[in-house]
Amino acid sequence: MSAQDKMITVANRLGLTSLKDMQGTTRMVYDSITTAALTHTFFKGAAQRVFPLTNVGANGNQFQVDEALLVEKIGFFIPTDATGATYLGLVGNSVKFDLVIGNKTVIKDATCEFGGEQAFYNDGTVGSSVIDLEGVGILIPPQVEYYVVAKTFNTQTRVATSNRLGCYLFGTGALLNFNTTI
Amino acid sequence: MANQVNKLAYVDSKLGVSLPGQQTTRVIYDSINASAAQQYFEFFTNFAGKTEFQTNLTTNKLDSAESMVIKSIQIICNSATANLTDHLNLNITVGNQVVLKDFDPSFNSSNRGLSFDRLHSGFNDSASLEVRLLTDIVIPPQVNFKATLQFSNALLAANDDITIVLKGYGRIFSAGASF
Repeated sequence: MSAQDKMITVANRLGLTSLKDMQGTTRMVYDSITTAALTHTFFKGAAQRVFPLTNVGANGNQFQVDEALLVEKIGFFIPTDATGATYLGLVGNSVKFDLVIGNKTVIKDATCEFGGEQAFYNDGTVGSSVIDLEGVGILIPPQVEYYVVAKTFNTQTRVATSNRLGCYLFGTGALLNFNTTI
Repeated sequence: MANQVNKLAYVDSKLGVSLPGQQTTRVIYDSINASAAQQYFEFFTNFAGKTEFQTNLTTNKLDSAESMVIKSIQIICNSATANLTDHLNLNITVGNQVVLKDFDPSFNSSNRGLSFDRLHSGFNDSASLEVRLLTDIVIPPQVNFKATLQFSNALLAANDDITIVLKGYGRIFSAGASF
């Protein structure tokens, strides 16, 4: 099953029959919190933050009508300072996280282990901080709230660490397309 | 990656698991605090006193509505005296069946590492390695499993940490439709 097939299948089951007519795209949403803490909640309340701390805009942690994202990769990064403009990888740190869509936890107690997959964020000699979702991915439907709860810890010693943290969701998306004059 | 989906559905149906569940990416891990010169480790058998970052399980089986495919294995070594570059022997047992036998992941350590996919170079690190399996190994619901790791040398010091992470496509309980 392709990413597009999965989006249409899930959308149809949810009664979103018009999603198949929307504009296909590659989409990435991110959110960052520049106050160091042991636990972070991303995207919830993100409408209160502005670029470059986040790119979700006024819609906050939900996509508007007929827009959706099939999450295929989840990555983490550390903002360099309070502005959020520059950021680095999670050198030596891993992240334990949950992804919640609506009132359902769709990824629970997963970890993004530093130095695992080398698929997207970094390459070669630098460890990545990204996890590829297995299967095809998980769809965030339109108008449904989503958020990520994440905790950082030292990859080797497995001890909690306090950090600034950012999170991005990357995958195939759909953008609103009226298909008519407006 | 759709093969993982089909395989999990096939095995679950063979075992009589009928609930559809929420599709997910499942990561389970267990960390052991070593004693000096310890060479043999048994993971997912003892959870007492461990923090949420040392293990995310409380028993050595998945819940009744949960199952997963092991697609990727990561091993992390926290030690000033030992690493993962010498020969290792990894076994994974599901139920009473050995599903990964006498496997040596050390070939994927340091600059000998294979990349996660064929487009990127591997991660050069002797303290962390990840191996992507070519077959889809299923952990069904309510079946005991464990992993054992044997080091070829006795270089580990007291309080070094050895962690194993199993990752793959999975299914968790869901009362409604799957996203």
